[in-house]
Amino acid sequence: MIETMIEIKGASLEYEGGVAALKNVDLCVESGEFVFIVGPTGAGKSTLLKLLYRGEKATSGTVRVAGSDLSSIHPRDIPQFRRRLGIVFQDYGLLPSKTVWENIAFAPRVTGATRSETRRRVHDALEMVGMTHRPDAFPAQISGGEQQRVAIARALVNEPPMLIADEPTGNLDPDTSLGIVQLLNYINSRGTTVIVATHDAPIVDSLQRRVVAVVAGEVVRDDAQGNYRVETAVVEEPLTCV
Amino acid sequence: MSIAALGTVTVTLTVLGASLWSVYRINEFAQQQPQTFNEIDVFLRPDLNRDNATDVESRLAKLPDVLSVHLIPREQAWKDLTAQDPTLTVAMPDDPLPDAFHIDTADARNVQRLAVLIKDRTLYPEVERVTDAGSEVRIMLAFARLVKVIGGSAAAGLFVATLFIVYNTIRLTVFARRREIRIMQLVGATPWFIRLPLLLEGLFHGVAGAGIAGFIILLFARQLTLFVNQIHSPLIGDVPSQATPLKMMASLVVTGAFVGLTGSFLSIRRYLRQI
Repeated sequence: MIETMIEIKGASLEYEGGVAALKNVDLCVESGEFVFIVGPTGAGKSTLLKLLYRGEKATSGTVRVAGSDLSSIHPRDIPQFRRRLGIVFQDYGLLPSKTVWENIAFAPRVTGATRSETRRRVHDALEMVGMTHRPDAFPAQISGGEQQRVAIARALVNEPPMLIADEPTGNLDPDTSLGIVQLLNYINSRGTTVIVATHDAPIVDSLQRRVVAVVAGEVVRDDAQGNYRVETAVVEEPLTCV
Repeated sequence: MSIAALGTVTVTLTVLGASLWSVYRINEFAQQQPQTFNEIDVFLRPDLNRDNATDVESRLAKLPDVLSVHLIPREQAWKDLTAQDPTLTVAMPDDPLPDAFHIDTADARNVQRLAVLIKDRTLYPEVERVTDAGSEVRIMLAFARLVKVIGGSAAAGLFVATLFIVYNTIRLTVFARRREIRIMQLVGATPWFIRLPLLLEGLFHGVAGAGIAGFIILLFARQLTLFVNQIHSPLIGDVPSQATPLKMMASLVVTGAFVGLTGSFLSIRRYLRQI
């Protein structure tokens, strides 16, 4: 069992041309936590999440996630590392030519799970997200909320210790958004670390969980139990690992 | 897209295979022409005696590419000529013919070089005249060389074109499947799990295209051979039967597989990174 799920120290990310996407970010997330990363569009929330699944590499500082040092990880080890994560996107990322069941089974299949193992895991994931009634439907035949539930099921099907969601309610109405965030809360209650990047204030306020605010690539607030609000100044002491 | 790509690969491999096949067949054809193309006749000066002739014979026999040297004594030549056309020799009081040699060479392509060498007065002062198969064989060999150069260049160009077609096809496949590939990358699929289907697709295009192309070439070559064999000419012998269709088909399929794999590998290497 990993105690510290995420440990970021002084991480910065600068793109070619000198554009700074993240500046000197410190962040510590313990195993089993639920964290909202909030901030306005273009603040660097998604970039911070990309650091977590090694979609981007920090140009300076260290990033440790689920026991792996992502600052020095070899590219060939990235697939193994990603098997310990579940990732959800705003646009769901479902394959339109595959059914709900096949979309979820896609993850264990590509990571080499056996058929019986895949069947068991898909069934459990469908049950967890409340989608057992539409396993044979295609993405176009279900609602946006249901598509996001399927995407969450696919992220969870390999039973990762951490779930990363980038604007999971961005395309959904308020009621459906609330349903999705409650699902994420339920997943977290079962022990999975959940990191959600969002600018959806009502869902952040509804849960009163840890909130890390990012503005212009910097962490400006880190509240153990907070609300969504747009910050303009850097806080004095962000919560860092001991 | 796949059918269009397969069709294009087939067409280019057909032309590629046909070029190589033509080069191969013309080479084979040149090798198997009547023996007269491999022969040189050497006529000595009439004033020389038999001992001189024997000396020249032994020197000629030592030349490279010379298979055999056969002395035709002047008496024998006169006898043959008389038998061939008695009216021609009746008016001649005496035998005017010189001793001669009939030389068989190993390769028709070296006949001209050998003939020039024997004509050299400083090396063979005893020789008065040398005849070989002459312009016919030279024209034929020049044609064979031309086909080789043009066919070889066309084959090289088509090889690159086929490579590019497969490269482009796989690039389009990568873009068409980018969503699927992105998901595979994010759920932890290994790079080879992602690459293998794309490599197999490239391989399929190459092998299937080559197979169809080989079939088309064999069919066409068979018809062409039948047509050429209907032409009775003293200049050309029978076009050799297609003893190696399997070999040609195998070569083409191997080439297709190589092109398919290389094209898809290069494409994957470049475009998978961009997803």
